[in-house]
Amino acid sequence: MPSETRSGRTPPLPVARWSAALGLVLALAGYLVVAQVRTEWQIRRTLRIPSTQLEELAFLLRDQERGRAALESQVGELRGRLAAYEKAAAEGRTAAAKISRDLQELRALAGITALVGPGITVELNDSTRPPRAGEDPNKTILHYSDIQGVVAELWAAGAEAIALNGERIVGTTGISCVGTTILSNTKRMAPPYLITAVGESRQLVRALRRPGGQVELLTAFGFPVKVTSHELVEVPAYRGTFRFEHASVEGKE
Amino acid sequence: MWLPIIGLALGIALGFLFSVEIPLGYVKYTAIAILAAIDTTLGGLRAQLEDRFDLMIFLSGFVVNASFAALLAGIGDLLGLDIYLGAVIAFSIRIFDNIGFIRRDLIARHMKGGR
Repeated sequence: MPSETRSGRTPPLPVARWSAALGLVLALAGYLVVAQVRTEWQIRRTLRIPSTQLEELAFLLRDQERGRAALESQVGELRGRLAAYEKAAAEGRTAAAKISRDLQELRALAGITALVGPGITVELNDSTRPPRAGEDPNKTILHYSDIQGVVAELWAAGAEAIALNGERIVGTTGISCVGTTILSNTKRMAPPYLITAVGESRQLVRALRRPGGQVELLTAFGFPVKVTSHELVEVPAYRGTFRFEHASVEGKE
Repeated sequence: MWLPIIGLALGIALGFLFSVEIPLGYVKYTAIAILAAIDTTLGGLRAQLEDRFDLMIFLSGFVVNASFAALLAGIGDLLGLDIYLGAVIAFSIRIFDNIGFIRRDLIARHMKGGR
């Protein structure tokens, strides 16, 4: 037997030394293997990937971190820009609000919005008095100039909006005479004429009734005039269109 | 004769008892150490089978081989190259060589013992 020959040739001590040395190295190997296996398990358990891919991941991580740093530096810049935009937007909003308010006022002024407020109505009609013999019948009927006179007096007295028989008096409104009827805003009108005005009622009434005024004149000629104050009158919106075929704004194309 | 097995069991037990987490950067060194340990063990076994075991050669071989392999790995880390793979391959070749020799020795013994 080789063992016999070996044991015979070598003393028992070297065998023990061999075993001890081998045991030592094996202990180290076992320890390292177990430690490594545990580490690997841990990595797999926490990251769910084998550790051999970790270097690749580390590279990716560095890459991402660089990208993140770049993006973070962008955040500051973008926040600044956002603040600037917000400031501009706020300014724009106030500007827009102002423009919108101006627009509302201009619409009201142009007459394309219906307006309500305290005011008066003036009702005019042809004379009830039959014309005397030989008298011109024109003297017993209302003329466009009579209406124009009342409207002009109302404007002068501070009326803010006026309508004639439901037709808003706007900048382009003319009151003219077409045969036996009156034309205003391309609408033919017949008596009675109802003028509605928004404004300070007492002031308007006083202006109309002033001596030598239009109402006194009409009354003197026998035309029935009825002036009534109202707490709330409505002046409708202008229903026509504004067209500029020849006129253009100066300084613009 | 039981000492190697006891040693192995002891090492495994220690590995389980003390939770040592090997930092990722040192995984290479662990691999080398494990290979060096296996190589040394097999070398020692072979030497024993061939009746030429020497404790000094055994231990110095383990220490020097492992150290040099670790040095290679360190240089590799410095250079950013996987030089430690050379050590791993060298250890692996030696391991297989030793296994081959151990196999032959065992077969030879068996044949002798059988006869």
